Amino acid sequence: MHALWKYIGKRLLWTLPTLLIVAVMVFFLVRMIPGDPAQLILGDSASPEELANLRASLGLDQPVPLQFLYWLGNVVRGDLGHSISNGAPVLPLMLDRFQVSATIVLVAVGLATLIAIPAGLIAAWRQNGHVDVAIVAASTLLMSVPSFWLGLILLLIFGLNLGWLPVVGFVPFSEKPWTAITYVILPIVTLMLIEVGVLTRMMRASAIEILRLEYVMHARAKGLSERKVLLRHVLPNAFAPTWTMIGLVLGGLLGGIAVLETVFTLPGLGRLLVDAIFARDYPVVQGCLLFTALIYVIVNLIVDLCYPLFDPRVTAS
Amino acid sequence: MKYRNLLTMTAMTAVLATTAGSAMAQDKMMRVRINADIRSTDPGVNRDANSDAIVLHMVEGLVGYRDDASVAPLLAKSVDISEDGKTYTFKLRDGLKFSNGEALTSADVLSSWQRYVDPKTAWRCLKDVTGSGVANVTSVTAPDASTVVYTLEKPTALFLATLARTDCGGTGIYQKSSLGNDGKWVKPVGTGPFMLKEWRSGQYVELAANPNYVSPGGERTGYVGDKTPKIGAVRFMVIPDDAAAKAALYSGDIDVLADVNNADIDDMTKSGQLKVDKVAAMGLTGLLFQTRDPLLKDARIRKALLLSLDIPQITEALTNGQSAPSASVIPVPSPYSGAAEKQIPTRNIEEAKKLLAEAGYKGQPIKWLATKYYPSLFDSAVLVQAMAQEAGINIEVETLDWATLLDRYTTGNYSAMSFTYSARLDPSLSYDMVSGNKDKSPNKVWDNPDGLKLIAESTTITDEAKRQAIFDKLEGMIRADVPIIPLYSGTRIGAVRSDVEGYKTWPVGYARMWGVSFAPGK
Repeated sequence: MHALWKYIGKRLLWTLPTLLIVAVMVFFLVRMIPGDPAQLILGDSASPEELANLRASLGLDQPVPLQFLYWLGNVVRGDLGHSISNGAPVLPLMLDRFQVSATIVLVAVGLATLIAIPAGLIAAWRQNGHVDVAIVAASTLLMSVPSFWLGLILLLIFGLNLGWLPVVGFVPFSEKPWTAITYVILPIVTLMLIEVGVLTRMMRASAIEILRLEYVMHARAKGLSERKVLLRHVLPNAFAPTWTMIGLVLGGLLGGIAVLETVFTLPGLGRLLVDAIFARDYPVVQGCLLFTALIYVIVNLIVDLCYPLFDPRVTAS
Repeated sequence: MKYRNLLTMTAMTAVLATTAGSAMAQDKMMRVRINADIRSTDPGVNRDANSDAIVLHMVEGLVGYRDDASVAPLLAKSVDISEDGKTYTFKLRDGLKFSNGEALTSADVLSSWQRYVDPKTAWRCLKDVTGSGVANVTSVTAPDASTVVYTLEKPTALFLATLARTDCGGTGIYQKSSLGNDGKWVKPVGTGPFMLKEWRSGQYVELAANPNYVSPGGERTGYVGDKTPKIGAVRFMVIPDDAAAKAALYSGDIDVLADVNNADIDDMTKSGQLKVDKVAAMGLTGLLFQTRDPLLKDARIRKALLLSLDIPQITEALTNGQSAPSASVIPVPSPYSGAAEKQIPTRNIEEAKKLLAEAGYKGQPIKWLATKYYPSLFDSAVLVQAMAQEAGINIEVETLDWATLLDRYTTGNYSAMSFTYSARLDPSLSYDMVSGNKDKSPNKVWDNPDGLKLIAESTTITDEAKRQAIFDKLEGMIRADVPIIPLYSGTRIGAVRSDVEGYKTWPVGYARMWGVSFAPGK
């Protein structure tokens, strides 16, 4: 137990230089992109004086290193600044949007995992048979379909043609739970279908490898049923690499699913980030990217910590 | 087993669909699409087009625009202009009330104005009403509770138009309770037909009908006339994606789409579910040249480029035939768009080649900037490239994102670009938009001292015939210099569900939800 806490502490400590590097890169790279937030706010009729005044009021007239130190000092104190676009404080804005993205991503990836694990396992078990070919074809198709296209098709079918589900909008779960569900069904299903393809292929590949190992042959030779062989000996060992993949997928998606959020008009973190990039809203871009990096590190830490549960050979030490 | 699962899923879907249906029925309010969240609710401060459109439902100024871009009294019942043109006396309408029920008096006009001209407010139009602006206001007084007197340094034709400008927030009058104790903006408490109910960042802005709205009567036009709300609430929903917005209109998830793409008008008209209307807009889409560019500083090359283009064909292609070509900076709907402004240059490849030969042009590449943020700008660059090639002009198109293109425009760091300007509702402002001293304002495309004098003169004259003569003269001058090739002033297309009544598209393009209602029984 002591070793575990030491491991967690060490990993968390390592996140600090990672986040510092991310902070430096994000801050300076964002400012290297051409485009001026003051110009975007004032539009095509702004005079040079107006632009200079607005830049000064936003603190953009200061040398960039000084702006960075000022921003970093505030970040250390937990203040990510205020949005240039609408003046809202960045941290609550981001957390508010993250809730939406996280809900959709966690449910979609959870459902995708529940479908992909048995599908991958069955495909591997029946390798090169009809079932395998069907599963591989379906998962390859799902992996290849662009998420925005699938989203729009589902919108057209279930929103427009059948009229079963709303096409745009979002209602927080805390306000009207049932209505809220109707607004997130399509984005969750879209994301789930896309991720099912990736996870099924991963599960199938690792299960095929395990099925070839001697201990599986030994288990079969001693007379265990195929069900027991698969569930007791193949699944736990084949799941570990898939679990790593789930971690990577979650880490990536929790940073925002901008395309889906745009198609389904969801107020998520990805859309906030994309809008902020187009508006050159530096504090929001910096805050979102720093937060995304933090989430990625944390999700991967959790995945690593869970690893011993699936593979006892892996320990904290 | 699998059939049982299928049945369960079907039953769940049915329950969810029913829930969605009943929820939507309860939310019977007018829903309007906006393509991005608003920036603030502070009139003319940290604003964009969406912010202006919504704020102008809640606040009103002393004057406002009509549908034809002329200015009429709004909170004022009369405006008297002194003989020297320097003093404007506004008489306020009787019985005006803010949305919180408090009476509006001249003191509110004064306090709003004082905040507008405080540099800390960062009001968009501060430069226009102070110093060397188009209407330098030297004093504002309130002799009694219903009279406000503005005094200007010198007479100008643009004072009322400036007060009415949408990007100035219509110089809307708000009550002091719009501000917090610290003087910071909280939310608008105005006299408009609606008031703010809820702004949910990234999702929607919901307005409720103002129970204390006092109508001036008269025809509903632009931002003036009878603006009585006929619906209890309106929700402006943030839908960034055009395809999703279109699907939402067809499915009934929104009721009004104020900015329909040119390509969609036919499908929408034929659908039977929607009502579509369109009007000529007051923007400007055109081609800009950097007249200090080593190559394009030669007016003959710019003229050759103009002669190589078939402007009607380009306009037809870019707007799906929805807009008429307009080679003038003065937009088509303007009353000052006369015969001189309506002339369209004819394509003449031979003449273009002759000019290029005279200028010694030998096929040097011209870098042409465009953006896909506005697809018409990218498409125009491609069409220009193809047409100019016939005259032997070598154009290389470079695609940038909108923010970068705007930055290059502002700094004047380009050779040529496709660009679009927002609406200017007075011809002097249209010319001012493109003209100026490039040393002071690198974003200006036309730096002609004689032209600048004429533009300045046009702002001081109120006689329409004299102004028209000046604009005609300017038209000739700018066409001779060719710093810009205007293509069209655009078309505003709006679409509503068939059960929506009273919605009208207008040249400014912003949705106006007063006087709009659902058909009885729907």
